[in-house]
Amino acid sequence: MTYSPAVEAALARIAEHNMGSRELVEASLPAIIRCEAGAVLDWLAACQAFIHFERDVGHTFVKESPGIASITGEVGRWTDQAMQFMQWRSSWRALEGFLTNLPRAYGALGQNGAQRWVEIGFGWCARHIESGAAYFSTPVVVLAGRHGGIAAIEELAQPAETLYRDRQLMWSTYLPGAIRVRDLLGASAILPWAVRGADIYQTGRARGEVYFRLESEDSIAILLDRLPGYRLTDRHRLLAMLLDVWFGGQFQLKESTWSPEHGRPFIETDGQFIYLPAVMADREEAILAVLHTAGHMRYRTFDRRAMQEMFKIAKVDFPTQGAVSWTPLFSRFGDDTLRFQLIFDLCEDLRIDFGVQSNVPNYLKRMRNAALSSGVRHPQSAVYFDLAMQSVDAAIASYAARSNAGGADQAKDTRFTALFQPTATVADAYRVAGELYASMSLPVVTDLEAFYAAYLPGRSPNATRMAHPQEDEEESDQSQQGGQEQGDQEQEDEGGEESEAAKGSESAEQTDSGQAQDVPSYGESAGQSTRSSGSHEKDGPQSGTSDKGIPYPEWDYRESRYKRNWSWVQEKRLGESNMAETHRLMRQYAVALKRLKKAIQSQKPTRTAPLSQQLDGDDIDLNAVVSYVAERRAGQSPHPAIYKRREIRQREVAVTLLADMSTSIMQHLPDGGGRLVDRIRAGVLLFAESMEEVGDAYSIAGFCSKYRDNVSYYTMKNFDEVMSDDIRAQIGGLTGRLATRMGAAIRHATAGFEGVESRRRLLLLLSDGRPEDYDDGGDRRYLHEDTRMAVKEAVAKGIHPFCVTVDTMANQYLPQIFGPGHYMVLDHINSLPNKLPEIYLKLRR
Amino acid sequence: MKIGTERVRGVEHDIVQRPQVGDVSPYYEPQGNEVAIFEAAFKRRLPVMLKGPTGCGKTRFLEYMAFQLQRPLVTVSCHEDLTSSDLVGRFLLEGSDTVWQDGPLTRAVKTGSICYLDEIVEARTDSTVVIHSLTDHRRKLTLEKKGQEIDAHDDFMLVISYNPGYQTVLKDLKPSTKQRFIAINFDFPREEVERKILMNEVPGTSAQTAQQLVSIGIKARLLKDHGLEESTSTRAMVYAANMMAAGLDPVVACQVAMVNPITDDVELSDALMEIVHAHLA
Repeated sequence: MTYSPAVEAALARIAEHNMGSRELVEASLPAIIRCEAGAVLDWLAACQAFIHFERDVGHTFVKESPGIASITGEVGRWTDQAMQFMQWRSSWRALEGFLTNLPRAYGALGQNGAQRWVEIGFGWCARHIESGAAYFSTPVVVLAGRHGGIAAIEELAQPAETLYRDRQLMWSTYLPGAIRVRDLLGASAILPWAVRGADIYQTGRARGEVYFRLESEDSIAILLDRLPGYRLTDRHRLLAMLLDVWFGGQFQLKESTWSPEHGRPFIETDGQFIYLPAVMADREEAILAVLHTAGHMRYRTFDRRAMQEMFKIAKVDFPTQGAVSWTPLFSRFGDDTLRFQLIFDLCEDLRIDFGVQSNVPNYLKRMRNAALSSGVRHPQSAVYFDLAMQSVDAAIASYAARSNAGGADQAKDTRFTALFQPTATVADAYRVAGELYASMSLPVVTDLEAFYAAYLPGRSPNATRMAHPQEDEEESDQSQQGGQEQGDQEQEDEGGEESEAAKGSESAEQTDSGQAQDVPSYGESAGQSTRSSGSHEKDGPQSGTSDKGIPYPEWDYRESRYKRNWSWVQEKRLGESNMAETHRLMRQYAVALKRLKKAIQSQKPTRTAPLSQQLDGDDIDLNAVVSYVAERRAGQSPHPAIYKRREIRQREVAVTLLADMSTSIMQHLPDGGGRLVDRIRAGVLLFAESMEEVGDAYSIAGFCSKYRDNVSYYTMKNFDEVMSDDIRAQIGGLTGRLATRMGAAIRHATAGFEGVESRRRLLLLLSDGRPEDYDDGGDRRYLHEDTRMAVKEAVAKGIHPFCVTVDTMANQYLPQIFGPGHYMVLDHINSLPNKLPEIYLKLRR
Repeated sequence: MKIGTERVRGVEHDIVQRPQVGDVSPYYEPQGNEVAIFEAAFKRRLPVMLKGPTGCGKTRFLEYMAFQLQRPLVTVSCHEDLTSSDLVGRFLLEGSDTVWQDGPLTRAVKTGSICYLDEIVEARTDSTVVIHSLTDHRRKLTLEKKGQEIDAHDDFMLVISYNPGYQTVLKDLKPSTKQRFIAINFDFPREEVERKILMNEVPGTSAQTAQQLVSIGIKARLLKDHGLEESTSTRAMVYAANMMAAGLDPVVACQVAMVNPITDDVELSDALMEIVHAHLA
């Protein structure tokens, strides 16, 4: 082929550098010439520059060029754009991404969109080349999301600008996560999610990265909090009440590990527990679903004998012990597993729903209405949805016929009649499903989304979790057994799941087909989620305790809302104790203590005498009557206050002294004479001794924190504990550690007042500084506001918080947190030991 | 007590009122053998304690029995400030004299009425002790302040009502008081009786409506352990039926009569409303 002299010269220059490169260029050249002959020289210059710069990059450019040219229909513009990458150091990865994704950008966004896509990327390359590379290497379809064009990318870019400006957060750090957040919750959710992540990132790179990969609990929690729909997390009590009403007896509700990426949320059961996702589409579906799931337990889907029978029909061995996997029941259908699973679930769910109808009036009707109003059905599985509707209609007709006449069932649709018998079991459902499967040609379902969409509102795939066969017909036996064997069964679980996972992979190998692999892995992942639910999740919502501690909400002023279960408080006992120090302090403050005790004795409340001279009362006050009569006789008109009334005034006070135990209390005092902690120990000790004299109920605790999930609450003395040398020694051994997450501590202390029968409750906080923690991202206001809310909550519960601080700067923030008059700043740290009891005595007056 | 047509309304009358010719018997639907028990107790003039939850028909039962036995009924609703003076009587000053005024219990003792101390646990313990001498063989009321005592009228009978579980954790009747009474246990009527009551109390209530209300009530009572101080009473159902009869939407009627009054708890009322919706859907 002959070229113009200029082209020849350019090719020669490339060849000079590397002969192989020339061949590559020559291969691509005709396409370029065909496309835009005028830009050939520029393109060749670019080729040479790239090859010179970095041979691999140059080769990529050359190889991609014909493709790009054929899609874009031009050469000059993108050649220029590619050349721009030369101005940034180590930009080859960004360039590579640019070259790969440019044709797709044209395809997906159109010419103008693609240009905008390039501009946004250049903006980032200029700031931070890594971010630019991350942007350009992300496939355009992913960037734009399922429905959005360039507008969606703009939406994605906008928070990125803000975050870069305000928080110096690089896009490369969080782009993949942000895309997922956007896809799940919309673009508006990115900013708050990333801001929170920036805080965490600041405290530790590793923690931050986990957060941005959406792998940390914080991250998932914040997503779940923002999901639209009906929130089940706050409604366990309501659902438990409904189950109690309609089914009687207790069901154990647990939070499942569902997260938005798992697709449609379902309420599930394994025969032992009911697992609730964080959010469901609406209230109606949630209520139907919890009733339906409880129906599975009440109408014994997990009955051991019935399950055995079902496995026998399927000619599969039934495990003699432990949890049972559903997979073998379906895997004999090979590629068609999902299809059969749908039909089986349809039958079994219908059997259950027919039973539930007898507990809950109008249940089937409600389910039908909910299904009708649920809107668009998935095209691939609409047939199943319709079949389910028909079956529900048949059930309604059958139920009506039965309850009206008590006579024969004259339903037209006889396919499901066997399921409406009171004696029907899960095995019958399996049988009916088999018949239906054989007689009907329902379309194949391959897509998991379509599979999920086939379920009527309230129903859910039954095989997502390992089944726990239930032994006895007797409900009570079952629950007792559940309680006793909990531990054993949990162990069995783990073993069972491992074997399940193994089985799953085996069957996948056997059937060696893409779709079939899909199913066991689906079962497997469910198994895993059960396991993780055992280890990560907190126990039942009622118990609320585990080794993670007790969760409390935290107030986020930036979003003006509570973050649920945000701070975790672990109740502990102080390990150290130091009796020698206690003795030393007792000696040092012996005089002060004596004085204090005297003061307390002098103001001890005495029993008030019966009130005399009242306008009304239980008895006549004779003295008053005598004087009244005498005065009357004397011609006066006295006030007829001649009754007496008994009224015993008791001032019942309970107080918790809550000491800040952060690192800062270990500091040495500026004027010498020891450390701050010495004064705090002495103060707490004198307080305790005074309280013994006063006789009010009191408790003593300290707190410290490191991150939101690690707030330690050290109870030194409980309300019902008797003061002892052990407690004194603990106070003597009190030391400072970590930070000050005050809100969580106040909430926990507030909860500690529960069950204390006193009319006046006081929470006395002893602090040396502002609320702070490692993960507050330097935003002081955040924990201030949270503490303020915690104080408000305490007040709402009838507890009066009062803060005593030695931080002389405290009047900058305490008025906002505790309110004016609810705090006291001690200027002289040395006065703390004496003052603390005095302050209390003043407060209780 | 339903009052006959010839009685004048809107004016004060004495607390001791004998049933008169023309009075209509109060409506009461017997749940068991309580009528026979009460008649026997009256025959022997033994004091009776009516036990049962609020709104299950204790007071109505007593009105009915008083009418059947043709005795006046003196009712005292006890409260925590009720003292023995409020029951027995007290000295009042009138002009330059002190005058003794009988309390309702003394009036009943003198006139041979049935004295009904409603929710006796609410009263202070000193007032429950004054009834001791009335409730055993002595049948005497001591007027401590006057230094006198009264032998009770032959027809006098004492009845108290007592709601176990109703805030009785801290205050309960002393065993020595309790064991002086014949105790009749009341509970919410059986389903069919309750249905009948609704249809009788509110004329025009259809059998279906009555059935729905009763089913709602039965389910709602299951929530008692979830923080309801009082469970849905027969009275509340009657109210709901009344509101429906007055033309209110059934769901709203149930809400205002059977849900809103008994709880401020959002979730509880949510659960209760869920029961209402399910039945009236």
